[in-house]
Amino acid sequence: MLRRFVSGVMLMSLLLATACSSPTAGEPPAAARADAGVKVDLSGTKSYLLTKSRELVDETGDLKAVAGAYYDLAKLHNFDYAALWAKDAAAAGRQVAAAKEHFLKANPAYELMEGIVAGVTDLAQFDIDLDAGIAASDGTEDVVSFDVTLPDGRVLAKPGNFFFLAEVTLWGTKAEWTAAEVAADMDGNGTVEFGEALPDANVLKGVADAFAAKSGELLKAAEAWEPTEEDAFTALVVMIPTMDEYFGAWKESRYVAGDAASSIQFVATSRLQDIADILAGLEVVYGSVKPAVAGADAAQAAQIEGNLQGLRAYVQEILAKERAGQKFTAENADLYGAEAQQRATAIAGQLTQAAAKLGVDIEG
Amino acid sequence: MFRRVWIALLVVAVAAGLLPVGVRAGADPAVVAEQVRTALLRAQVELEAGTPDPAAAAAALEEARRAYEAGLAESLAAGAPAADAGVRAGLAAAGEAVAGAGGAGAGAALAGARAQVWTGLLDGAYQLASAAIERGNGEAARTWLRLREFRAPTRFSRPSADATRAVERFAAGQVDGPTALVSLRADLLDTYQERLRLSLLELQVAQEKGFTARAAEHGALAAGYFAMLAPAYAEQRGADALRAAEAALGALRTAALAGRPTGAELEKVEEALHGFRAAPLSPEEQARRAGQFRRFLGLVPVEYARGVSGGKVTKEFEIHEAITFQEGAEAAFADLQTLLEQRDATATNGAAAKLSALGHHLHDAAAGKAVASPTVIEALVKEIDGLITPAMPEAWTKRSTAGDFDAVDQLLDQMERAVAAGQYELAESARLEAYAVLETGPEPRLVAFAPQFIPSIENLFWHGSAGAEGLARLIQQKAPLADVKSARAQLDTQLAAASDALAGGDSPVAVGTNAGLIVFREGLEAVLILASLMAGFQRAELRRLRRPLWWGAGASLIATVLTWLLARGVLASLARYGEKLEAIVSVIAVGVLLLITNWFFHKSYWTDWLASFHAKKKGLVSGEVGQWIGLATLGFTSIYREGFETVLFLQALVLDVGNGPVLGGVALGMVGVVLIGFLLFRLQVKLPYKKMLIVTGIFIGSVLLTMVGKLVHSFQVVGWLPTHPIRSVSLPYWFGDWFGIFATVEGIILQIVCGVFVIGSYYLAEWMQHREAAAGASVAHVQSHESRRPDAG
Repeated sequence: MLRRFVSGVMLMSLLLATACSSPTAGEPPAAARADAGVKVDLSGTKSYLLTKSRELVDETGDLKAVAGAYYDLAKLHNFDYAALWAKDAAAAGRQVAAAKEHFLKANPAYELMEGIVAGVTDLAQFDIDLDAGIAASDGTEDVVSFDVTLPDGRVLAKPGNFFFLAEVTLWGTKAEWTAAEVAADMDGNGTVEFGEALPDANVLKGVADAFAAKSGELLKAAEAWEPTEEDAFTALVVMIPTMDEYFGAWKESRYVAGDAASSIQFVATSRLQDIADILAGLEVVYGSVKPAVAGADAAQAAQIEGNLQGLRAYVQEILAKERAGQKFTAENADLYGAEAQQRATAIAGQLTQAAAKLGVDIEG
Repeated sequence: MFRRVWIALLVVAVAAGLLPVGVRAGADPAVVAEQVRTALLRAQVELEAGTPDPAAAAAALEEARRAYEAGLAESLAAGAPAADAGVRAGLAAAGEAVAGAGGAGAGAALAGARAQVWTGLLDGAYQLASAAIERGNGEAARTWLRLREFRAPTRFSRPSADATRAVERFAAGQVDGPTALVSLRADLLDTYQERLRLSLLELQVAQEKGFTARAAEHGALAAGYFAMLAPAYAEQRGADALRAAEAALGALRTAALAGRPTGAELEKVEEALHGFRAAPLSPEEQARRAGQFRRFLGLVPVEYARGVSGGKVTKEFEIHEAITFQEGAEAAFADLQTLLEQRDATATNGAAAKLSALGHHLHDAAAGKAVASPTVIEALVKEIDGLITPAMPEAWTKRSTAGDFDAVDQLLDQMERAVAAGQYELAESARLEAYAVLETGPEPRLVAFAPQFIPSIENLFWHGSAGAEGLARLIQQKAPLADVKSARAQLDTQLAAASDALAGGDSPVAVGTNAGLIVFREGLEAVLILASLMAGFQRAELRRLRRPLWWGAGASLIATVLTWLLARGVLASLARYGEKLEAIVSVIAVGVLLLITNWFFHKSYWTDWLASFHAKKKGLVSGEVGQWIGLATLGFTSIYREGFETVLFLQALVLDVGNGPVLGGVALGMVGVVLIGFLLFRLQVKLPYKKMLIVTGIFIGSVLLTMVGKLVHSFQVVGWLPTHPIRSVSLPYWFGDWFGIFATVEGIILQIVCGVFVIGSYYLAEWMQHREAAAGASVAHVQSHESRRPDAG
C-alpha cells in the first residue's frame, strides 16, 4: 500500500516536473533566424587580409632595419646629433629618407585592410594599437595597450598608436622626439622645409622595433582568424559610417588647414587617401557577402555595391582635386564630409537591412 | 577633370548594369533618387567651386531633372502628388539658383532646393511604400522601401530594420497589411524625426561657423522632414497646432535661406516640436525603455565604485562602463521624457538636470579633471531614481524583462570588449554583473514560464556542458576572444529564445497557474522532506522528537511569510546574492541532515540496545537540548530553503500582475500541498513500523543526496567549487531540479560519498549491533553461568 502510494507521489512529481518543462528544451524559436540561402565564402576576404598583413610585416620589418642602422650611426656619434649631421649627413639623410619610404608603403598596406581589422571584433585591438589608439595622456577611451621601451631604457607609457609614433618621429612634428637643435636640410636646397628633421634615434628604434613586432602579431592573428558572415557584416556596418571622423581629421590636418593645422599627424599621407584605401578594403569584404545579399534581394545587393563604389569614387575625386593643388576651405571640407557621411550612413543602413533579411546578427 | 570622373563612373556603372539610369524603364527608384541627389550635389559643387562653372551646374541640374522625369515623376505624381509637387518646386528653385549663379545667395538657394528635392523624394517613397502595403503589393513595398534614410549608427544602436522585416513578412504572407504598416510607419517616422532633430542641430552649427549654404540646406531639410511627420503631428495636436508648426518651420527655412540669424525662428520650432513623438512608443516599448533606464542607471554607481579608490581612478575601464550605462540611461530617459513631463514636469526636469550632472561627473573622472567620491555618484543616482520613479506610471515600475535582457546584453558586450583588450579580470566582473542582472530579473520568470532554458543558460554563463564552453571557464583560462565570442553567441541564442518564451506569459491566469504550480512543486518537496524525517520518529518513545521538527518547520513558514512581506524592499538587494544565500542555507541544511542521518540510522537499527543506552542518556539535559536544536534547525532549514525560493519566484510574478492572481495561485497550490501532506502523514501512522523504517531510510537518503547535489551545484554556480562537467552526459532540467543530479564530476562524486556514508552508516550500525549483541550474549552467558555456580551470590 505504502509502496504504491510513494510510487504514486513520485510519479506524480515526475509528471508535474515534466509538465512544467517544455519538450523543446534549449531550442531557439523557429523565427529566430532566417535561412541564409546562399553560403557566404569569405576565403577571399581572409586571403586579402593575409596579403596586406604580410605587406605590413615586410614594410615595418624594413623600417625596423633602417631604424636600427640609423641608431647605430647615432650611437657612433654618442647621440650627438650635431656631430652626426656634421660628419655623416648623407648617410643619415639616406636612412631617414628610406625610413619614410617604408612608412609610406606600410601606411596603405594597413589602410587597405583597416576596414577589416577595425571592424572585426577579434582583431579590433590591433587597429587601436597600430592606427587608431590614442595616448593615455590624451584621454581614456581607445588608449593603446602597449608601452614602448627605448634602447636607452626610457619607457614611453601608452604613447599612442604606431603609425602616429612613427610619423611624428620621422617628420619631426613632435619636438621632443626630434633633434630640434639640428637644422637638417636633407634635400640640400638651402631651406629646412616641413618634414625635414633628424629623429631621436632611441625613439625611432624603440618605436620601429615594437611596430614590427605588433605587425607580426597581427599577421598571426589574421592567420588564426576564421571569418564569419557576422564578422563581414559587422566590419562593413561599423567601419563605413565613420566617414565624418576621417573627414574631420582631414579638415584639421595640414592638407586643409596648412600651417595652422591643429593636428601633428596625417602629414605624410592625406587622410583622403586613407579613406579611399579603407573603402577599397571594404569593397573586398562586400564582394564576399554580395552573393548572399543578392540571393535575398538582388536589387538591394546592386544598390549597396553601386553606392559603395560611388562613395569611393567620390572620395577619390576630392583626392584628385587635392593632388591637383586645389585648396579647400573649411566649409568645403564640411560639405564634402557631410556628403560622405550621408552616403556612408545610407550604405550602413542598407547593409543592416540586407543582414536582417539574411538573419545575420550585426555585433553591437 | 571632376566632370570626366563622374561621367566615366556613370558609364562604368551603367555598363555593369548596376546603376540603371533614370531614363530606363523599370529602374530602381532608390538608384534613380540617388542619381538625382548626387547630380544636384554636383551642381552645387560646380556653383561653389573656386571658379564657378554655371554651365556645368546647369548640365548637372538638367541631368537630375531628366532622371526624375524618366524614373520617378510618374509614380510620385500618381501616388504621392504633394511629394511630386515638392520635388518639382525644388527643381524649379534649383533652376533659379543656377540661373542666378554668381549672385548673392545662389549657393544657399541651391542648397535649400537640393534639400527640398531630396526630402520630397523620401516623402514620395514613404507614401508609395505605405500605399503598396495597403494594396497588398509586397514587392512594390519592398522596392519603394529601398528609397529611405536611416538613423546614424551609434555605440548603442544599429539602424533599424523593423520596416524591412515587416515588409518581408508581409510579402511572405506572415503578417497582415495593417500590422506591416504600423511597423513601417514607426520605423520611418522615427528615422525622419531623428533626422529633423539632427538638421536643427546642424543648422545651429553651420550658422555659428558662418556656413550659409550649409545652414540653408539644413533649414530646408528640417522643413522637408517635418512635412513627412505632419499627419502624425495633426493627429496628435490638431490642425491649428499643425498650421502653427508648419509656419514656424517655414519661417526657419526662409531665414536660413536668406542667411539671416535663425535664433528666434529656431526657438519657435523647438517649442512647436517639444514633446512631439511622431511614432509613439507602444506601451510595451515604454515599459522596456523604463526598464532600461532603471537598470542602466542602477549599474552606474556599481561600475563607478569599482573604478575609483582613494579619490583616484584605478580602473579606467570601469569608468567608461559607468559612462556607457549613464548614456544608455540618458537615451532611454530621452525617449520617455515627454511622457514623464506630462505626468510631473518638475520631477522630470529635475531628474534630467541631475542625469546630466551625473554625466559631467563621470566624464570629469574619465578625463582626470575631478574624481567624485562613489558615495556622491550613488547619492545622485538615488536622487534621480527618487524623483523619477514616483512620476512613472505603475506599468513602468514593474520589472521589464525585456529591459533586463537588454542590460544583460550590454554587460556581455562589455565582457567581450574586456576580453578583446586582454583584461580578463574586468571581463569576469562584467560577466558576473550580467549574471546578477539575469538572476535578479528574468530568472524567476523563467522558472515559472520557461524552465527548460535555465540549465543551458547557466551552463553557458558558467562552466559549459557537452559541446559548449562556459564563459566563466573561458575567462578563467584566458581563452582567446574567438572562443569567448562563440560561447557568447550560443548564450545569445538561448537568451533570445528565453526572452521570446517569456514574451507572452504574463496574463493573470497564466501567472496564477504558474504561481500555483511553483507553490505545489516547492511545497511538495518540503512535505516529502518533512514526512521522511518524521517517519523515523513514529515509535512512541521517539515521537517527542517530532516536536522540534514541527517547530522548525513552523518557524520556517513564519520566516517565509516574513520574507514575503519584506520582499519588495529587501529581496531586490538580497536576490543579487540569491545563489550565495541558497548555498549557505543549503550547507546548514545538509550539515544538520548528515548529523541527523547518522543519528537516525543509529537510532533505528540499534533499537533495543540503544533503548537502554537512550534511557541512560535521558537525564543528560545538555544532550537533549542539542538534539532538540539540531532537529529544529533541520526542520527550519529544510523547509525554509523551499520557502525562500518560492518567495523569490513569486515576487517576480507579483511585479508582473500584482498580488491578486499570485495569491490565488498560492492558495490553490497550498491546498494541494496540504492535501498531499495530510494523506502522507495519515498513511505513515497506519503503516507497519518496519516498512516505514525502510521507506524512511530510503527517503532520508534520497533527500540527503538531492540536497548535496543542489548544494554542490549552488557552490559551483557561485564559483566556490570547481566544475568539471561530464560532457558526455546531458541531463534534463527536472533531473537537477528534483533530484539534485547535475552532470559534473564534483556533484556526482560528493553524492556517491554521501550515498556511501548513508549505506555505510547502516552497515556500521548493523555490525556494531551484532558485535554488541554478541558481547551482550557473552556477558549474559557468563553471568548466567556464574549465577548457576553454587557459591554464587
